[in-house]
Amino acid sequence: MKREELFFERPDSLQATAPPEARGLARDEVRLMVSTAAGHEHTLFRDLPRFLDPGDLLVVNRSATLAASLRAKGPAGAFLLNLATDLGRGLWLAEPRWSESRPGPLPLAPGAVAQAIDVRVHFVTPYPGLPRLWFVRLDGDARAAMACCGRPIRYAYLDRNYALAAYQTLFAAVPGSAEMPSAGRPFTPRVVDALRGRGVELAGVVLHTGVSSLEVEADVVEEHVLSPEPFCVPAGTARAVNAAREAGRRVVAVGTTVVRALESAWDGERVRPSEGMTRIYVHPGRPVHTVDGLLTGFHDPLASHLAMLYAVAGAGRVRSAYAEAVREGYLWHEFGDSHLLLR
Amino acid sequence: MTNRNSYAMRNAALVTGASRGLGKVIATFLARQSYDLVLTARGAAELKEVAGELESYGGRVLALPGDVTEARHRRQLVEAAESLGRLDLLVNNASALGPSPMPALADYPLDELRRVIEVNLVAPVGLVQLALPLLCASRGLVVNISSDAAAGGYEGWGGYGATKSALDLVSRTLANELRGDRVGVVSVDPGDMRTQMHQDAFPGEDISDRPLPEVTLPFWGWLLGQDPLAVSGARFQAQADRWEVPA
Repeated sequence: MKREELFFERPDSLQATAPPEARGLARDEVRLMVSTAAGHEHTLFRDLPRFLDPGDLLVVNRSATLAASLRAKGPAGAFLLNLATDLGRGLWLAEPRWSESRPGPLPLAPGAVAQAIDVRVHFVTPYPGLPRLWFVRLDGDARAAMACCGRPIRYAYLDRNYALAAYQTLFAAVPGSAEMPSAGRPFTPRVVDALRGRGVELAGVVLHTGVSSLEVEADVVEEHVLSPEPFCVPAGTARAVNAAREAGRRVVAVGTTVVRALESAWDGERVRPSEGMTRIYVHPGRPVHTVDGLLTGFHDPLASHLAMLYAVAGAGRVRSAYAEAVREGYLWHEFGDSHLLLR
Repeated sequence: MTNRNSYAMRNAALVTGASRGLGKVIATFLARQSYDLVLTARGAAELKEVAGELESYGGRVLALPGDVTEARHRRQLVEAAESLGRLDLLVNNASALGPSPMPALADYPLDELRRVIEVNLVAPVGLVQLALPLLCASRGLVVNISSDAAAGGYEGWGGYGATKSALDLVSRTLANELRGDRVGVVSVDPGDMRTQMHQDAFPGEDISDRPLPEVTLPFWGWLLGQDPLAVSGARFQAQADRWEVPA
């Protein structure tokens, strides 16, 4: 698939610049577009239960967001160190940026040393194929530095900083995501109660997100390089997904992270309990086996996630949905509106 | 704020076949993370050059040229590791491909076959035997570099492939035998890479479509962050799109 096929026009005014609470809305009062074979419906997120059937299984990401953006100082001056992925024993993947609005690259060479709060940062080597991402060795307690002085990673389209609490979903239980698994953000206790009341099941996986700032640059989408992310599909969730599939009930992923976790646990016949790292890239050339629908936000032009949406619901339906979303003024990004794609 | 969780403690690794290709990439990655290193390869000049470059990252680099099939050289390597005070990682990377172009087994010179077995199978076991007390004290990890050829049955790959297949079994067996000593053992198939060995396997062919060995760095970054016992017994493909911790 050509890179251009992930492109569409979207005015900048359709980027959510603040959480819905700052716009006078409850989390579950963001808009919801439902795209099926029958067309596109427009409603509010809190009406989600209406579009699901008793027995449908919603799979959510239990990963919680870290305050992963640290102010740092190096040989070339002040910069932001966005910690993407904890590889263990002090080794992380990280994206050094000049600022929220100005990406790298920074003039860095292997062996360069910087200071972030009280953590010494050793630049090890750039990530093969993604030169904006670096392996860094952190000498000091990164989690403590984040707890004390880190901020949630943000990009230029937001009007200001928001507290970490704005970046946690109702399902957040295991800290580790560099960026909020945002598809779960509009869920509130009343929505979950209504889903349960309707007989919709819920199950959880964990996938800790890295940084999302790396759009597809390869001319051929399938050659896009993804960095690995930690994931875990527990035995209970694997059983629930397999049982739903066998009974012909729908499995709906809440977020692209959930699709990636479930597809990573697919052994060709069923979902197995699995734990490890995944950089699986779901695109139309690699069919989706584990889900029948995807509840997600609206993704940027050229975002690699669009290829996953195409794989779940077909490029035609996604492209017509995005044209409709632009016409109807839906809001993009982590604090924006919601989109349910059903096969 | 205090450093409750300091990573300032030094790590040490022994890498064989470290003068070029995958071994050099692994050694460089470790040096840049401030590992102390014992490095070996047969080519003294090349090894010295690599060691000189890696010393600039601040760790100690002990470069000992030699042949891992010689017991005396293996002892020398482990004594060097002893002088560093610990051994967190042993990478058995040095490998012999055998004659190039690679002969069919029906025509394989048996002396060459013995040599391939000595380098790829006997030497790694010999190094583990000698290094065991150090690995045990450091709760270390042994990485045996395997190959797709271990399972292939590809024509011409019989000598090399047989030793890698045997090495996979050695890895699994050692993982079971050394679990009580808290030493982890894994096999890693690095996948096709643009290296001298791969060129020797395909003499005269253009291999520029294969990725450089740096393509495996994300895997090494992850593997070395794991508890050695949590991954012990597994066989990984470094270029795969997922790496799972065994159930």
